[in-house]
Amino acid sequence: MNVQALRRPAAWVWLAAMLLGAWLATRATYVADLSAFLPSSPSAEQRVLLEQLRHGVTARVMLVGVRGGDAALRGEASRGLATALRAGGEFDSVNNGDTLGAPKAVGELLMGHRYLLSPAVDAQRFSVDGLRDGIADTTAMLGTPAGAWIKPLLWRDPTGEMARLAETLLPSGGPRVEAGVWVSRSQPRALLVAITRAGGSDLDGQAQAIAALHHAFEPWAARGLSLDLSGAGVLGVQSRTLIKAEVERLALWDGAIVLALLLLAFGSLKALGIALLPVASGVLAGTVAVSLGFGQVHGMTLGFGTTLIGEAVDYAIYYLVQARPAAGSAPGAGALHWRRHSWPTVRWGLLTSLAGFSALVFSGFGGLAQLGVFSVAGLLAAALTTRHLLVDLAPDGAPGLGLRMRLGQATARMASALPRLRWFWGGLGAAALALLLCLPSAWRGQLTHLSPVSAKALTLDASLRADLGAAELGTLVAIEAPDEATALQRAEQASARLDPLVAAGLLAGYESPTRLLPAAATQAARQAALPDADTLRARLKLATVDGLLPADRLEPFIADVQAQRQARPLTRADYDGTPLATALQAQLLPAAHGRPWTVLLSLRAGTQALPAARLRDAMQGLPDTRVVEIQPELDALYARYLREAFWQSALGALAVLLILYAGLRSLRRLWRVALPLAASVVLVLAGLTLAGVALGVLHLVGLLLVGAVGSNYALFFDQLAQQDAREADAETLASLLLANLTIVASFALLCTSSVPLLVALGEVVAPGTALCLLLSASWARRPGGVGQSGP
Amino acid sequence: MTPLRRIVWMLLALASTAAAAAPADLGSLLPLLAAVKSGEATFTEQRQVTLQDMTRTLESSGRLSFAAPDTFVRETLKPRRERLAVAGNTLTMNQGSRSRSVPLDTVPEAQVLVEAVRGTLTGNRELLDRHFTLQFSGSLDQWTLDMVPREPLLREQVARVTVSGVRAALTEVQVQLAGGDRSTMKIVESRAP
Repeated sequence: MNVQALRRPAAWVWLAAMLLGAWLATRATYVADLSAFLPSSPSAEQRVLLEQLRHGVTARVMLVGVRGGDAALRGEASRGLATALRAGGEFDSVNNGDTLGAPKAVGELLMGHRYLLSPAVDAQRFSVDGLRDGIADTTAMLGTPAGAWIKPLLWRDPTGEMARLAETLLPSGGPRVEAGVWVSRSQPRALLVAITRAGGSDLDGQAQAIAALHHAFEPWAARGLSLDLSGAGVLGVQSRTLIKAEVERLALWDGAIVLALLLLAFGSLKALGIALLPVASGVLAGTVAVSLGFGQVHGMTLGFGTTLIGEAVDYAIYYLVQARPAAGSAPGAGALHWRRHSWPTVRWGLLTSLAGFSALVFSGFGGLAQLGVFSVAGLLAAALTTRHLLVDLAPDGAPGLGLRMRLGQATARMASALPRLRWFWGGLGAAALALLLCLPSAWRGQLTHLSPVSAKALTLDASLRADLGAAELGTLVAIEAPDEATALQRAEQASARLDPLVAAGLLAGYESPTRLLPAAATQAARQAALPDADTLRARLKLATVDGLLPADRLEPFIADVQAQRQARPLTRADYDGTPLATALQAQLLPAAHGRPWTVLLSLRAGTQALPAARLRDAMQGLPDTRVVEIQPELDALYARYLREAFWQSALGALAVLLILYAGLRSLRRLWRVALPLAASVVLVLAGLTLAGVALGVLHLVGLLLVGAVGSNYALFFDQLAQQDAREADAETLASLLLANLTIVASFALLCTSSVPLLVALGEVVAPGTALCLLLSASWARRPGGVGQSGP
Repeated sequence: MTPLRRIVWMLLALASTAAAAAPADLGSLLPLLAAVKSGEATFTEQRQVTLQDMTRTLESSGRLSFAAPDTFVRETLKPRRERLAVAGNTLTMNQGSRSRSVPLDTVPEAQVLVEAVRGTLTGNRELLDRHFTLQFSGSLDQWTLDMVPREPLLREQVARVTVSGVRAALTEVQVQLAGGDRSTMKIVESRAP
C-alpha cells in the first residue's frame, strides 16, 4: 500500500465517513413487510384498505391449525394451547370455538346491558302481548339441548334477550365443531384464531408471539402433533427471514464470484482489496442514506444493494485497469493520466446513472423511493471513493498483471470482429421492436408479485381461511365520521340498508360495531322503552296466564330491567381488556394520524351473487359511506404504482439524454451512445415477453439499472472513437469486459433467488448489460482504432 | 337318500328357517329404511322439563317431512308455528317472522339429533356409526335403535337418542338430555311412500 496516501486528507475523510456510516448502519431499523410498497397518498378507498393492512386487527390475526393424532387429542391440544396462550402476554385473545373455555367476564358485561344491546327491545316488546310472545319463544327451547343454556338465566331473562344477542354476535358461517372445538371440514385439523398484542407491522413482536406459540405447543408436539401457522404477521416474519437469508446467501456468492474474477484479472490481492473499497463504501452510504431519510431500511432495498456491487465494482475496475502508466513515465503518472482522460467519461456515466435513479426518489411508494435514494447515495460514494481514495492508494492502477494482458488482447480481437455483426444486431433489434408492438403488453405484474411469500405459504393461508368459513365477500362498507357518536349513528344507518339485503339472501350477514356498541341515542331509546317495576309486574301477571312460568318467580327479571333502566350507557371503554375489544377495534377505528373515525362493515357472501353496483345503490345518499372492493382496489393500487414508475422512468430517461447531450454536444454522438442502450432495452423486453414473464415494477427498475450501467459502456466507446491511441484502447476494452463480466455474474445469480423481486431484477439486468456492451461494441465508430473493419 | 339329496334338503331347510323368523339385526333393517326415499307424517311431542323444583310437560304437534338423501323438515303447528329445516349441512330455523340459517356442523348438539333421525331414515350405517354407538333390539316388525353419542363432550348434553319403528316406518323418537329433561315424539305416517 502506498504509505504516502496516509498523508493525504482523502484517506482520513474516507475512514471517518466509513466509521460513522458503520455506526449508523448498525443502529438502522430493518423491515421486510409489504407496507413499504404501498402508496403514501392513496385515494379514500385505498386509505381504508391500507389502514387495515398497516394497523387493522386483520394484520394481527394469527391462524393456527393443529394436526396429527385423533380428533380427541387435537381437541385436547386446542383447549390446552388456548389456555396457555390466554395466560401468556403475547395475545389479546384466542378463540378455538370452545364455548365452555370462553372468559366469563364478557358474558357478565353483555348480561348487564342486554336491554340496551338487544335489537328486539322496544315498547312493544314490553307490552303484555310482547312479553307473552317473548316468554313463549324462550320456553319453546326448553327440553332441547339449547335448554341447557337457557335454564340458568330463565328467571332473569325470560324473554331470551341473551339468546338474541348471541345470534347477532356469533357469525352464522363458522367452522365445524368437533370434540368441542373448531375443526376443518376438509382435513383432520383443529383450528384456533389468535389475535397478537403486537401490531401486524411490528415483526419483532410478531416473531415473539410465534415463538411463544411454539413454546406453548411443545407438550403437544412431544405427543406427535404439529402446527400449521399463517396470518399477515406470520407471513411477514417468514418474508423477513427469507429475505435476510437470501441477501446473505447472494452477498456471499456474489462476493465470491466477483473476487474470483478480479483475482483472475489482476492476479494481486492488493488490487483486489482496493477494488472492493468503492463497493463497500457504496453499500454503506446507500444503507445509511436510506436509514436517515426513511427511518428504516427495507430488506428488499438491501437485497438490491448487494447487486450494487456489480455497478460499483465497475468504477474500481475502470480505474485499476485504465490507470496503467505508459512505459517509462514517472510514478503516479497513471493516476494523472486517468483523471485527465477517463474520469470525465466515468463522471458522465455517473451523472446519467444518478439522473436515472433520482427519478425514483420522488416516488409516492416508499419502497421505490428507498431504491432511488440507495442507488444515488451508493453510486456517488463509490465514484467519489474511486476518484479520491483510489488515486492515492494505487497511483499507477493495479500493480498485478494477472490475465489482464490476455483479456485485453481477447477483447480487442472481439471488438474488431463485432462490428461485422452490426447489421445482424440492427435487424434483431428491429424485429424485437416489431414484436413488442404486436404482442399484448406483458406489463401485467400484480402487487402480490412484490411479496416474497411462497406459493406454499399462500396455499396454507388460503386453506386455513377456508376452514374458518371466513367466506368474506372481499367487499367492505367503510364509513368515515368526525367523531365516535356520528360514526356509530352512520353505521346504524348503513346497517338498516344492509338488513334487507341479508333478508333477500344476497348477503349471509355482516359485521357491525353497533352490535356491541349501539349509538348513544339508540341505547337511550331502548332504556326509555323499559317499564317501571310496578307496570312490568302488572303486565307479567297478565302475560303469564296459562303459561309455563309463574309470574311470582320472575322478580329477578323485574330487578334486572329496573337496574338497566338506570344503567350508564355502554361505551367503548367498557370492552377494554375483554376478547370483544379486538372485534370492536377491527370494526371501529378511532381517529388518528389526521384521519377521521372509521367504521368498517365487512360483508359475508350470501347464496346469490351481490354486484357491487347493487350494494352502492343500497348505500346511496349515506354521508361518507363507501363501498370498497378489496381486490379491484389492490389492482388499481398496483396499476397506479406501475404508471407512476413508468412516468418516473421516462423522466429519468429524458434527463439521461439531456445530460448526455450536454456532455457530448453532438446529436450524432448522442444517437450513437443512446442507440445501443435503447436497442438492449427493446431486446430484453421482447425476450421476456416471449418467455411469458409478467413484467412489473421491479423489471422497470432493472431497466433503469441497465441504462445506468450501459451508458458507461457506450460513453467509453464514444471516448475511444474520439481518441486515437491503440494501446489505451486494449486496456479500456479489457476493463469494460471485466466490468461487464462481474455485473452479469452478479445479476445472473439473482435469477436463482426464491424472492420474486430479486429474480425480476436479475432477469432484466444480466442480459441487458451484456447486450449493452455487445451492441456498443458492434455499433462503435472506430477511426483508426482496433475496430477499423466496418464501412 | 343319496348324500347329495340330503345336502339339498338341508340347504332348503336352512333357507326356510331364515325366511320364517326375520333376523333381528340392524343389517337387515337399514336396507328397508334406505328403500324409502321420501315420506310425510304428523307428530305429537311431549317434553318433560324440570325447572328448579317444578316439573312441567310441554306439548306440541305438527308435521314432518323427509326427502332422500338429506332433507328433513319439522314444522310445529301447535302451540305456536315454528319451522326447522335441514338440507345437507344447512339448518334453517323460522320462528314468527325471524329466520336464521347456520351450518349444521357448527352446532354439534343439534347435529347429533338431526343425524340420529336422518341417518335412520336413510338407512345410512356409516353415518350412524360415525356419531353413535348403536344398540338394536326387537324384531323388524317392532324394533328399537338405541343411539349413544360417541363424543364424550356431546354426551354431557345429549345422553341418548332412541328411535323405534315398525319395519320401514319410524313410530317414536325419544331424546334423553344429560340434564334429565326428556322429549318423546310420536310419529304417525300420513302418506306411505
